[in-house]
Amino acid sequence: MAGDVGKIRIRVPSNVKAGDVVRVRCLVIHPMERIERDAQGKVIDRNYNYITRVTATYLGKPVAVIDLTQSVSENPAFSFALKATAPGPVKVTLVDTHGGKYEGTADIAFV
Amino acid sequence: MAEPITRRAALGTLGTVGVAVAAGSLGVPAPAGAQGSSQALGLQESVQDGLKRVFGGRPMKDGTAIIKLDIPPIAENGAVVPVNVEVNAPMTPASYVKTIWIVADKNRIPIVARATLTPEAGQAFVGANIRLGETTDVRAVVEQSDGTLLTTRREVKVTVGGCGG
Amino acid sequence: MSSRVALRCAAVAVLVAGCALAARETTPVASPVWTSHAIVEARGEIRANADGTRTAVRYRGWTTRDFGAFRTYAYDDARPEPPVQKAAMPAGVAGDPTKGRALFLNRQKAPCTGCHLVPGADVWPAGSVGPDLSTLGDRKLPDAYLYQQLWDPRVTFPATVMPPWGAQGLFTPEEIVHLVAYLQTLHGPPPAEQDSDRNPFTRRRSEGFGDNLDPTNNPAVIRAEEAQALWSARGPTGKACADCHPGGPQRAMRGVATRYPRIVAEHGRVMSLEDFLAVHAEATTGRALPSESGDNLDVTVMIKMASNGLPVAIDTTSPAARAAIERGRASFFRRVGERNHACADCHTPERGGSKFLGGRFLADVTGGLTRHFPTWRTDRNEVWDLRKRFQWCMTPLGANMLAADSVEYAELELFLTTFDAGKPISAPGIRH
Repeated sequence: MAGDVGKIRIRVPSNVKAGDVVRVRCLVIHPMERIERDAQGKVIDRNYNYITRVTATYLGKPVAVIDLTQSVSENPAFSFALKATAPGPVKVTLVDTHGGKYEGTADIAFV
Repeated sequence: MAEPITRRAALGTLGTVGVAVAAGSLGVPAPAGAQGSSQALGLQESVQDGLKRVFGGRPMKDGTAIIKLDIPPIAENGAVVPVNVEVNAPMTPASYVKTIWIVADKNRIPIVARATLTPEAGQAFVGANIRLGETTDVRAVVEQSDGTLLTTRREVKVTVGGCGG
Repeated sequence: MSSRVALRCAAVAVLVAGCALAARETTPVASPVWTSHAIVEARGEIRANADGTRTAVRYRGWTTRDFGAFRTYAYDDARPEPPVQKAAMPAGVAGDPTKGRALFLNRQKAPCTGCHLVPGADVWPAGSVGPDLSTLGDRKLPDAYLYQQLWDPRVTFPATVMPPWGAQGLFTPEEIVHLVAYLQTLHGPPPAEQDSDRNPFTRRRSEGFGDNLDPTNNPAVIRAEEAQALWSARGPTGKACADCHPGGPQRAMRGVATRYPRIVAEHGRVMSLEDFLAVHAEATTGRALPSESGDNLDVTVMIKMASNGLPVAIDTTSPAARAAIERGRASFFRRVGERNHACADCHTPERGGSKFLGGRFLADVTGGLTRHFPTWRTDRNEVWDLRKRFQWCMTPLGANMLAADSVEYAELELFLTTFDAGKPISAPGIRH
């Protein structure tokens, strides 16, 4: 599992025509560490490892920035929309609190 | 010395990612009510405090007519609860949905996630799998480009697992 | 003995359609002595401590309590079910309904609401395995009768699913007196239901977790995709899986999973894919894939995915397979543990299957579920094969688990797979 952290899968629809609004869905392997408490119930203070920001660009321009917290699930899935104006790449970049930076790309192709 | 987790998380979202944040290196604490703290995420607080901090008491209209908050009424476990928020509103440079917040009232970190959109998104939509600690209301708060705030909410019952939960 | 007769009757009643063998109490054939090839946490080991106590070695976060006093699935565990016990109410204990209600809802005990609905907005979530007790007091049953029911209901209902709470020491005599006092206060009409989800008989079903084969939904699919690298990687002997199984795992392994679990002649026992990988991978490539290791699970999922869409086609006709299936069936109906439960108690439609146990909708295995294993567990963020699922059940039942790759579990898995015969494999699954 440790070796899989940051592995990302991105799904875009296949029958896309110019002008369609399409939804893009992603899943990234990441622990999204939860706050831990000690036996007395006190929050254990440490730098929890979780994704803070997801930046989605399409044709180089941002379409969504999603800021996450520890209230988001482990191995988070998330989705956003974009208006398909031209064939081209959707790029998703993620950063976490431990300096991890992960990236994935999928292509919008027109039928 | 133990820095509160809240400030560490706040620094993370202000752009210092990529730097391993060591205990004690956090610098000047942000005073309550400072401009930056309304942008901070990941804070442990009550939902009332969180909403006040982020929205500063600005009026919120009932957005139930245009916000579709898609979330299961019963979550089999609180670890993975899929939420989709879709807003039936224009996405043009003149008028668009700028931000969507997902809020879970009873979570220790109730401001769960924030999506910042551009008109190129074509549709005001965000989805995410979230954690819910217990049965709670989940809210969507939507901010339009002219600053209007709208909100709607739904209750999600959470079961725990085991023979009794 | 009457409970065993009842068990046999129940076994006949829920016979698998198409299986012509009459259920009988088969004496297990001497199984080959099997040394577990599982990771340490999965071997079912009990450690004897210097102070005389015993600690169970299990997965991280699982209880370490030793349930050695109670019957297990081991074929050589010849202990009978706990004997049926009559009991009289203790004198001099004044039943307190408030204490009784607290006990009824106490999750450290059962809770009773796991199976039984009672009134109260704080009753969330009650189950429907047992009858709704909201108006039990109206029946004016004698206290002594209710006491006996809670002490050991088998006196009245030999085939009951309900544990013998008093006989097994799960509740003290005083606690049962309080429970009886509480139950006697439950009179109708019950308060109007404000929320139809509170009542398990009208509760909405959960929506499940979506497309199990979508890698943007099921992390187990990503894990299996990443396991492809293991297929081609050379192990310590210098060989890779790909050397003997060319063409990539999807082509080379197509159809293989449809025949598992199966009796592997060279090992003289029933084996699942996981069991076989645990011996075969090391014997050929030198790389160990112990049962319940991440690599074993991921490679198993990868191999099973190569059969997605193909019908389960296990051997159910050879004499050895039929005998193994019969032993698996006996395990399925075997009562074990502190709670004295059998798999059938929760997972057949005649008993708890397709009813709520607390908030959980119980799976009915007679529809066939093994074709979705291994499955992603969203509340654990782990891949679980069927053996880990068996092992997990041991904890609430109060029975020591066996090794993940034990023959007993393999034959139980084989029995369960008969319900999937002819149905298309779709793995990995995804579940809460």
